[in-house]
Amino acid sequence: MENYSVYVPRLVTKRENFAPGHRACIGCGEALAVRLACKALGQKTIIVTATGCIEIISSQLPYTSWRVPWIHTLFENTAAVASGIESGLKILMKKGRIAQQEITVVAMAGDGGTSDIGIQALSGALERGHNFLYLCFDNEAYMNTGIQRSSATPFGASTTTSPAGKVSIGQVTWKKNMPAIAAAHNIPYVATACPSYPIDLMAKVEKGAATPGPAYVHILSVCPTGWRCATDLTIRIGRLAVETGIFPLYEVENGKYRLNFDFPKLRPVTDYMKLQGRFRHLSEDVINKIQQRVSAEYAELKEKASEGKG
Amino acid sequence: MVTLTIDGREVQAEEGTTILEAARESNIYIPTLCYHEEVTPYGACRLCLVEVARNGREKLVASCLYEVAEGLRVKTNSERIASNRKMIMELLLARCPNNKAIQDLARQLGVEKTSFKLEDKQCILCALCVRVCQEVVGVSAISLVNRGVDRQMATPFYEPSDVCIGCGACAYVCPTGAIGFEDVGDTRYIHWPNNKMEFKLRKCKTCGNYWAPEKQLDYIIKKANLSPDAFDNCPDCRD
Repeated sequence: MENYSVYVPRLVTKRENFAPGHRACIGCGEALAVRLACKALGQKTIIVTATGCIEIISSQLPYTSWRVPWIHTLFENTAAVASGIESGLKILMKKGRIAQQEITVVAMAGDGGTSDIGIQALSGALERGHNFLYLCFDNEAYMNTGIQRSSATPFGASTTTSPAGKVSIGQVTWKKNMPAIAAAHNIPYVATACPSYPIDLMAKVEKGAATPGPAYVHILSVCPTGWRCATDLTIRIGRLAVETGIFPLYEVENGKYRLNFDFPKLRPVTDYMKLQGRFRHLSEDVINKIQQRVSAEYAELKEKASEGKG
Repeated sequence: MVTLTIDGREVQAEEGTTILEAARESNIYIPTLCYHEEVTPYGACRLCLVEVARNGREKLVASCLYEVAEGLRVKTNSERIASNRKMIMELLLARCPNNKAIQDLARQLGVEKTSFKLEDKQCILCALCVRVCQEVVGVSAISLVNRGVDRQMATPFYEPSDVCIGCGACAYVCPTGAIGFEDVGDTRYIHWPNNKMEFKLRKCKTCGNYWAPEKQLDYIIKKANLSPDAFDNCPDCRD
C-alpha cells in the first residue's frame, strides 16, 4: 500500500495547469481529479476532452481553465481526435517540421462519453495502438445534462431516467466494467484511480503518459450533485468506495493485474451507500444482492492479482 | 523584474530566481535529476547545464544555481552543451546501468552506451532525499556520509535512526527510485541503498486496518499539541 502521507503532498508541484475559477459544483470530485491529473501531466501535453461536465465547467466563453493546449470534441470521437493529433505530431516530427520531442496526447471523457457513446472510437484507437493516454472520469451518470443513467450507473441507483419508486428500484442493470474492456484490448497499461488517493492517482497518470502505446486510466469522480450526498463528503465517499471493494484500485500492466490497496477486511457496502441519497430507497434484500456481487467481483479480482504475481 | 534571452526568446523573470526557473516558466525544457522546487538547489547532477554569455564571454553553468540578470544571454541547446551533457549522462549510466529512470533519460539525450567501467548502483548521490528530510520534513534522519568514492547516502553510522518518522518523503522524491518503501501487514519497510528500517503501523480501533506508523503519529501529536488519542481511528472512521 503506497500510504504516503503528511509530507509528500508538500512535494507535489505547485504549478496549476488546470486553473481555478472554473464553474464546477461545490465538492466536485471530477474537477479535483482533472486538477491532479494536469499536475501530473505537466506542460508538454495536448488535451482533448469530450462533451461533458469537464468541458462545460472549464470553458465558459470567453474564459478557459486550461493552461495547456486543449481541444473540445463531441461525445463520440474523443479517442479518434486524440489519435489524429498523435499521428499528426508523429509525421510532423518525421518530416522535420517541428523538433523531435516528447508530447503527451491525452483524451479525457466522462463515463457516458467513454462507456456509451465513445466506446467505438476508443476501442479503435486502443486497437490501432496509438501512443496516447485516455482518462475516463466516471461519475456514474450523465451529470451535466441532469443526472440521466448511463451504462456506468451502479445497480440500484436512482437517476432521473431510472427513478426509484413503488415499482422500480432505480437502475436495474449492473455497472459496465470499462477497465476490463480496455484491458481486453491487450494494451500496455490500464489502471483505476480515485482523487481520494491523490498521490496514487498522479503516479498512475504519470505512468500512463510515460507508457509507449495506449494507456487507459479509469477515475472514480464523486459527484455530490448527482449522488445526492453532502458536498464535504467527496473525499470520504471516494475512500469508502475503495475500502468497501465497490471500486478497487488496481493496475493491469501488460496483462498482469496488481491490486494497489488490499485491505485485510473489506467494509460493508452500506458504509458507502448510506451516505448517498441515490441509494436511500434500497431495501435490505437489494443491498444484500449488491454486497454479494461486490464480494464476488473483489474475490475474482484478487485471484487475477495473485495469478499476476505467480 | 529582469529581462534575459533564453534560446533567442526574451523572457521576464523575478530578480533572485534561477535560469532553470525562468526557463520552466516559459516552457523551455532543461533536463534535471536533482532539482526540486521545494528545496534549495544543490547542483549535484549537472545535467541542467546551459551556456551563459555575459560581457562577451561564454561559459557553462548549472542553470539550477545561476541567478538571472539583466541582459543575460542563455543557450540551452548547443553543440557544447550537448556533448557535455552526454558525457555526464555516460558517467551516470556507468554508475547505474540497470536503473530505468537513468536508462530512459540517457535514451532521451541520445546516449546509447557508456565507455566507462560499469557499476551496479541505483543511487546517484544527488542528496535530494537528504534535502527534503531536512527542509521539508525537518528531521534530518538521513545524510550523505564519507567522502570521495566512498560517499554514500545513509543514516548516521548505518544504524536505525531515532528521528526518522517513516513518512516516505525520501522514497517519493528520489529521481531514480533507489529507495524502497512498502507496507506489509503491520510493518512498513524503508530500504535505503545502504541500510534499512522497519516501522510498526498503528491499527485503527474501529475498522482494524493498519494505516500509519506509530512514530509518525506520535511526532505529529507532539508537534501539533494534540491529545494522545487523536489518532486512535483512521481518517475514515473518525467523525
